[in-house]
Amino acid sequence: MKSAYKMLAILTLSISAILIPVATTYAMDLHSWSESEKAVLQSLWIGNLPPLPKNPSNKYADDPNAAALGNKLFFDSRFSGNLKVSCATCHPVNRNFADNLPLAHGIGRTDRRTMTLVGAGYYTWLFWDGRKDSLWAQALGPFESPVEHGFTRTQSAVIISEYYQKEYNEIFPQIPDELLEHDLSLIAKPSPDEPASLKKWLAIPSDTRESINQVYANMGKAIAAFVRTIVPEPSRFDRYVEAVMSNDNKGMMSSMSNNEVKGLRLFIGKAKCTNCHTGPLFTNGDFHNVGVSQPKHLPPDKGRASAIGKVLADEFNCLGKYSDASPRDCVELRFIDTDTEKYIGAFKTPTLRNVADRPPYMHAGQIDTLMDVLKFYRDLKPGERSADLEHGDLNDLELQQLEAFLGTLSSPLKFAE
Amino acid sequence: MNELSFAEMEGIVKSLRSVMVLSLIFILAGCATAVKETNKHDEHKRHYEKSFYKVTQAENYSVEMMVEDKMFKVGVNAADIIIHDRNDREVVGADITITPWMPEMGHGVFTPPNITERGGGLYRVEDVTLVMGGLWEMRIEISKDNIKDIVVFDFPDVKAETGHAREHDHKMVVTKAPADLDLSTSRLSSNKAFKVSYTSDREPAPVNKIHSWRLNVLTAEGDPVTGAIISLDGNMPEHGHGLPTEPEVTQEISSGEYLVEGMKFSMPGWWVIDFNIKTDDKQDSVKFNLILR
Repeated sequence: MKSAYKMLAILTLSISAILIPVATTYAMDLHSWSESEKAVLQSLWIGNLPPLPKNPSNKYADDPNAAALGNKLFFDSRFSGNLKVSCATCHPVNRNFADNLPLAHGIGRTDRRTMTLVGAGYYTWLFWDGRKDSLWAQALGPFESPVEHGFTRTQSAVIISEYYQKEYNEIFPQIPDELLEHDLSLIAKPSPDEPASLKKWLAIPSDTRESINQVYANMGKAIAAFVRTIVPEPSRFDRYVEAVMSNDNKGMMSSMSNNEVKGLRLFIGKAKCTNCHTGPLFTNGDFHNVGVSQPKHLPPDKGRASAIGKVLADEFNCLGKYSDASPRDCVELRFIDTDTEKYIGAFKTPTLRNVADRPPYMHAGQIDTLMDVLKFYRDLKPGERSADLEHGDLNDLELQQLEAFLGTLSSPLKFAE
Repeated sequence: MNELSFAEMEGIVKSLRSVMVLSLIFILAGCATAVKETNKHDEHKRHYEKSFYKVTQAENYSVEMMVEDKMFKVGVNAADIIIHDRNDREVVGADITITPWMPEMGHGVFTPPNITERGGGLYRVEDVTLVMGGLWEMRIEISKDNIKDIVVFDFPDVKAETGHAREHDHKMVVTKAPADLDLSTSRLSSNKAFKVSYTSDREPAPVNKIHSWRLNVLTAEGDPVTGAIISLDGNMPEHGHGLPTEPEVTQEISSGEYLVEGMKFSMPGWWVIDFNIKTDDKQDSVKFNLILR
């Protein structure tokens, strides 16, 4: 018996003598990154997020008073046909400024998923198809959409002059008297899809129409000044990168689990997710057709292909008369890619910040869970996907690791109160 | 397959007569067990063995489709459509529309295909431009003397011939980066007409940020080349796609130095920027390779 115990003790000792170094080496390997990998990690790090870019078309973009007015407008449901819809209806604060529905619901239902507003101030193109070239122009779209706010620019100008006149006049040029005195038809808006509204719009004298547009544009600029302050705080991933940069092994191990680190390694390596999900917001802001099917009950959606003409023709774009930019500054619009064929069914790469907290996914909310999104990408057949979407042969365990990693990108948001 | 002449078609009909008799027997045999509808099909006949054959939804017409190169591919395609009516007469002078559709993607094609009637029930379909591989439906609507009907052909596995992406009219082939890629920012043009170098206003050239380049163009002897007309294009050979912008040379800043605005790279990896330089007496091109991280 005694010798048996002895044997067992020796055996245990020798096994642990082998295992302990193995475990340490394993942990070291897991957390050791090459110089080029470190460069990639650093490029994704929140600390690398530059200050908010200048928005030449909106000279009020960084005016705190404009942001304060924008904050109020954002939550004001008087700007809707049924007095129930505000920007916050589809962009609720407590859900990363996005609803949890496959398709956005305002007064009616839209044909696309609500996009999160996290980091919206950093993007060149807004909406899934990029049909707007600034956040202020984007903010104006939903008001006049019959299925979102169901409102008009004329009504908006009236509400601004009735309820926000003082604040507005402190920031922007005074609301012109003719606008205050004029008896305006509230349904008036230049919408070819709503002829009755268009007729009323054309009946308004052109000077007054111009004033309405100006107030409407400024309202968008105030909302944009608020929305652009919505940025993510550091997440566990960011703390991990900080630990990597300062060679702090303890910090690395405490900020991300082994599984999550394995997922990160796949994300920037074999799975090639950083082809499109680059930079601290994990998006290139560009448009790609990833081959996700359009739901059967929705009309076909050409995505970016049909938005290129829209953004060029938009009266509120960077080159338009309500923009504060000099044409020289409108580089993105001046050099926009007009090859529509290339962008059929292409949608904007969304940010992955807080991605785990805001299902469902894709432009029409087609996929319910993050795991199913990963499976979708894995199962794309070579002949059906572009080379941008080569993800290596990922097994189920690797998908779980990627899913775990994506969870480390969640963090609280900060924004101007 | 080239276009079918009427005589050729008749020849094929004759040679296939025996096949048809056989298939008629087969259909008749099938009637013993099948339900009523098969009786209606008796009036429609297949005329070409290798065609895709279908009867329209309301059974007014039979449609045979013969695809050039046998199968639709990613790119520009052509096909012949042969239509017969209930009484197996050739349908002449009908209004035909053909709509390619990707049901899983929810999109079709940008420009509708061209259809020309060739007589004898034959309609030639050209410029069927399919932008990606996968399941394509060809929805054919036929209307003659107020008899409208529709038929949908499925092509479940349309494939790319080469590469993955197509740009404009040339196919892009996916190529791996050679190990000895020349990354220099100063190069001699391909026919040695110009010495060309560039600098980026952001170093190194960034991913996802629109920026400008300055292009310096010298003659082979080293004199500045002024007043050149310069165009450029960029692509990712390993991915088969181009730039996300349309950059342009907007001005000559100083003698032989040109401003390139609108440069932008949508992702990390190997990019090639191809400049075409034209002066009064010379034309040449030069390629620069970049690897972005």
